[in-house]
Order: sequence, then structure tokens, then C-alpha cells
Amino acid sequence: MFGRIAALARKDLRLFLRDVRGMILIFFMPFMFIVVMSLALRGSFGGGDEDAPIRVPGVVEDRGGLAGRVLADLDRIGGFEVETTRDGRPLDRAAAEALVTSGERAVALIFPSDFSAAIEAGPDETAGTAVVQVLTDPAASVQVVQPLVGTVRGLVERTVYLALVPRGVDWMIDWIAPDTAALRRSALRAVAQRAAAGVGEEGGRAPVRVERAAPAGMRVEELPDSFEQNVPGYTVFGIFWIVSLIAHSMHDERRQGTFRRLLVAPLGRGTMLVGKLVPYFLINLVQAAVMLGAASLLFDLDLGDSPAGLALVVAAAAAAASGLGVLVSSLARTEAQIGGLTTMLVLTMSAIGGCFVPRVVMPDWLRAAGLASPHAWALDGLQDILMRGYGFAEVLPRAGALLGFAALFFALGMWRFRFE
Amino acid sequence: MGEAILRVEGLVKSFGRRRAVDGLSFTVAPREIFGLLGPNGAGKSTTIGMLATLTRPDAGRIEIEGIDVAREPERVRPLLGYVPQELALYPALSARDNLAFFGRIYGLGGRKLAARVDEVLEVVGLRDRARDAVQTFSGGMMRRLNLAVGLVHAPKLLFLDEPTVGVDPQSRNFIFEHVLRLRDEGLTILYTSHYMEEVQRLCDRVAIVDEGQLLALDSPKALIAELGEGLLIIGLPPGGAEAVTACATTLNALGRVTMRDGLLYVEARRVNQALLELLDLCQVRQLGLRSLQVLEPSLESVFLRLTGKRLRD
Repeated sequence: MFGRIAALARKDLRLFLRDVRGMILIFFMPFMFIVVMSLALRGSFGGGDEDAPIRVPGVVEDRGGLAGRVLADLDRIGGFEVETTRDGRPLDRAAAEALVTSGERAVALIFPSDFSAAIEAGPDETAGTAVVQVLTDPAASVQVVQPLVGTVRGLVERTVYLALVPRGVDWMIDWIAPDTAALRRSALRAVAQRAAAGVGEEGGRAPVRVERAAPAGMRVEELPDSFEQNVPGYTVFGIFWIVSLIAHSMHDERRQGTFRRLLVAPLGRGTMLVGKLVPYFLINLVQAAVMLGAASLLFDLDLGDSPAGLALVVAAAAAAASGLGVLVSSLARTEAQIGGLTTMLVLTMSAIGGCFVPRVVMPDWLRAAGLASPHAWALDGLQDILMRGYGFAEVLPRAGALLGFAALFFALGMWRFRFE
Repeated sequence: MGEAILRVEGLVKSFGRRRAVDGLSFTVAPREIFGLLGPNGAGKSTTIGMLATLTRPDAGRIEIEGIDVAREPERVRPLLGYVPQELALYPALSARDNLAFFGRIYGLGGRKLAARVDEVLEVVGLRDRARDAVQTFSGGMMRRLNLAVGLVHAPKLLFLDEPTVGVDPQSRNFIFEHVLRLRDEGLTILYTSHYMEEVQRLCDRVAIVDEGQLLALDSPKALIAELGEGLLIIGLPPGGAEAVTACATTLNALGRVTMRDGLLYVEARRVNQALLELLDLCQVRQLGLRSLQVLEPSLESVFLRLTGKRLRD
């Protein structure tokens, strides 16, 4: 039996190696997605990073100095790079709009002429409200815009607060000790301002620091870059394209009459099917190894600490993909049907499974629906190993779910499968 | 003729309401080329499918070398070679790779497989194209390779299902020559066709089938001999056929007379004499002839006499 399975597998591997389109679909396409999407989203997925900051043009119409202070604070934050000049000239509104309209920049900030005046007016209710505009293309990704808006709002509030501290000190002194000398009043103002800014008289200690942490048991290291975020998703995406190859191969065997010939041979139907699926399972393993290996070599992807866990997730995902291939080949009767059904299933499952957009940003109902896709489990499994630092034991439930999908797809497929 | 290698008894297969094979029974002796002759839709391929263990019969029994095919198909399959009507090859693989693959499926391997592949390629005349992809072959070459795949594991019984359909004359002759050679080398062959000339040329015995039923079984020569010198098909006015049939036994030159769809089918022992006698009879009975055909003796004529239809309608 094993000899016959090996003969069947060898034949299909040979056919695959002669199928240029198949090799492009399996190896080249997912890898290109990783490269293109990672480069395209670099620095913008989640707010930018030190190597590829989000560049933010800032137009300062402010007659005071507080707008400049906000922009300087923003520039100091990792992941943002503020531009206030262009070709040696200060940026104006027209130039900023041109940058956004042309697509060169996703956002631009415009500080109005009364920004500093509005802040220094303090709680005076007769004073107007200065409006800082965040100029964006309506089609811009909210993943770029929202973090920036939040950050700018926080910085403006901090600037307002720091600007109002000396005023507050003056009001208190006027109330408690109106005869305080000007020099002492100035010193008190400076102490209060330093304290408010987070630097005490001794200097150097910020009372509060916000830092990123991870739940217990997960690895806490550097934030993953865009490649590390995209590789798991598009690897899973690529694994499931084997469905197309399996379904087309089954269709070819029926059309060519070779299945009929094999049915007459001393070969059980179960053996035939296993022999048919083994090569595609192996192709998936090689595919994942190539993609993850290439990502590790080219993009410094950390492959985690558990090769066994990684292999388990990949193998379980490949099994689910094989099962889905059998199901599609049992339902589709023509090449056009195979193409349509495969595209619909793989793209939909990839999308709701989080391969393109993280499930965490989806509405609750869609996030729950994603669990009906093997892609979600496979992606979580890969992320467990590659990004969360989990091991073999922790990914067992994910692998179990994937094998459950494999069994379900296979059972449904065999119910309708015909060799002729 | 020795013990039968293939024994078929009361074979029945239906698809819905249509009975494709209806009580077929025959035996095939070792080293015999046995023909199944009939028009398209007669049940030939369905019969071959059951013999080759592709489908299970609804009723009846098939034995190959004494093994019940329905009960033990896995014992029988290594003995069978099957050459389907449609080509069953992997076009992207070479001829050698196709043969090697199917050889491995039948349990061959190593040097034995390589030697057998070379041998079979030589037999079908494709040795010099062994490394070429099948998709580059002509139709005739593909047919030859199709035959070769059925032979690679050295079966005892070979089923050839319409092997020359769509084949050029040169390749057709090649197949004929090799079928005869294979028989001479000890292979038993079941050959289905709707081409009378092939069956007449190749087969030791032929079963004529139509609508799933066996109509006649004998050597081509014996079946044709029943027609005497020829077959006369006569059209007469209503009632005329019955009148002639009633008197036919008195006419010496006439053999068997059958009536179907208002036509008389007359086996003529001596054609000229039979014509004169029939015309004389019609004259006496005042029966005006409406049509007259004289067919030379052939399997086509036999089929026409049996069914009232031509083999290639």
C-alpha cells in the first residue's frame, strides 16, 4: 500500500513541478503579498515605528509659540516625523493640502493663528476656541489617522495644561500672599511648571510612565514590525490556495480518464485518495518552510522558540486545506466552478479569519464569525509561536481545531465525491 | 478450446429504467480474441465496465480464472489489463513516466519495471519517443500508448474497448497487428467494436449484442456462412410478407426467412436462384415488389438480419 501511495504522490509531485502556474500560485503569490503589503503598510499599521515614521506636515499659522511646542513634542514621539518646511520654505495651508491631495502624505496638521492666544486666555469665557485641523483624505486609513488625532489631542491638552500652570500659580499667590515679590513669584512659577512637566527639583524622574506589556506567559520584546505582522497572515492565506490545485487535479484525473484507469488497478479507493492528497500536503509544508525561512532571512523574522509548535500548526493547517480541497472537488464539476468556488471560499475565509485585517479591529459579531474559518485558528497558532512566544503545548488547542476542520471538510467531501 | 478464462452468466445492469445489459452470457477461452460487436449504446462498454470491476452488476455472475469478480475484485484486478475507449494518460508526463507510474501501481519496481517499460515501448513502437511528453503525440501515438499502459503489468486478460476510434489508418493497422501478436504470445483479449471489419479480421469468436442482449455468438465465418451467398431484403405490400413466408419453405434457394417491420429478410443459399424464385412467387400471388436489396454476406448483414438496423446508424 505504501509503495502505491508513494507512486501516486511521486506522479503528482512531478506534475506539480511541471505546472508553472501552480508554482506561482503557491510560492510566488503569497510571498509577493507579504513583501508588497509589508512595505506598503510599514510605519502606518498601528502608528509607525522608528525606522519608518509617519511623516506629518505641520502648518503653523499661530502667532504665539505654543503650536511649535506641540509639534516639537510630537516629533519627539517615536513613530512620527514632523515636517514644517518644504523646499526650504515654511509650509502653508495650500502646500499641505497639495501634499494630502496628491497622496504623498496621509495627514497634515494646521494650527490656527489664534492657537497660543486661545490657550493663554485660559478660562476666560469670552475668548474664542482655537481649532486645530487634522487634514486628511477621506479615503485615508483610520488606522493612520486615529492614532495621530489621539496623540495630537493629548499633546495639545498637555500644552494647555502646562501653559496654564503659571497663571494658576499667579492666581494662588494673589489670593494667599498678594504682596509676594516678583522675583519670588517667578521662581514659584518655574518650580510649579517643572513639577507639572514631570521633572522635580532634583530633576530626571517622571512620576508616571506608560509602557507596553503582555499577558502572563507571553513574550514581551520589541513591537513586531509590519513584516512580522504580515507574514503569519499571508502564510496562512498562501497555504489554503492549495485547495485550487487539489480541486483542479481531481478534475483533470476525471476528465482525462486516469481515475477510471486507476479504479481498475489493484488499488483501493481510500489508498487512491490518500495518495492523491499526500503530495499536496507535502507541498504545503515546503511552502510554509520557504515563506517563513525567507522571511527570517530577508526580514529578520523571529521564528519563535518552538520549531515543533510551528511545525504542528503548519501541518494542521495543511491538513485543513487538503480537506477543503476534497470538498471543493466534490462540489465543483467544471473548471469554472472550481475557480469560482475556490476564490470565494479562500478569500472570504482569509478575510474573516484575519489574514488581511486583524480580527481585533472587527466588530464583535464578525470576530466571532471568524472562528468558523480555519484561517483564524491557523493565524492565531502562528502568531502564538512567532509573536507571543508560546510553545507546543499552548498551540495544541489551535491545532486540534484545525484538525477538526480537516475532518469535517473531508467527511463532507467524501459524501459527495465521485471518482468519475 | 480449454477451460474458460472468463465466464459470464446472466449479466444484468440497469441505469434507471433503461436496461443497458440484459441477461448476457458467454465464455472466453484462453488465448482467444473474443469480439463484442454492436452499435453505439448496445451495452458493450457497460459490459466491459462490469468485467473490469468498475461497476457492480445488478444481477448475474462473472468469473475470471474461477474467481468471483463481484466478491473478490481485488484478487482479479492484477490479472486484468484495461484499455478504455477514451484515452487515459497524463499528457504532461512522458510516455516512459506514464508507463512507469502505472507499472508501480501494479506492483512493479526497480530494474524489472524499467525493463518492462522498455519492452512495452518497443512493442507499441514508441521507444524513440519515450522521453517526450504525451501531449506532443499524435492521436494514433496516444492510442498506442493507451494500449501499452494496459499491457505494462503483463496481464492475462486484456479488455480493449473500441481501441481504434478516431485513429488514422496506419495506427489502426498497427493496433490490429499487435492484437494478433499478443494473442499469439498467449494473451486472451476481449475486443469491443462497432466496426464489423475489425471484428471479422481479428476475432476468433464474436458475440453480436444490441440493446443489452446477446443476439448471436459464433466465429465470424460461421455467422456469415448462415447467410449463404447473401441477404435479400424485400419490401412487399401489406400481407405480402406473410404470404411469401408461408411458401418460403418450398423454395430451394432460400434459407431462413424472417419478417421485421414489414420487410422480409431472406438468407439466400444461391442469390440468383433465390431472386428468380421469389419474383416468380410474387408474380403468381400478384404481389408488387416495393423494394429490393441484395447484400453480400458480412457481419453487417448478419446484424441487419438480426435487428433490422445497421451497425452504424
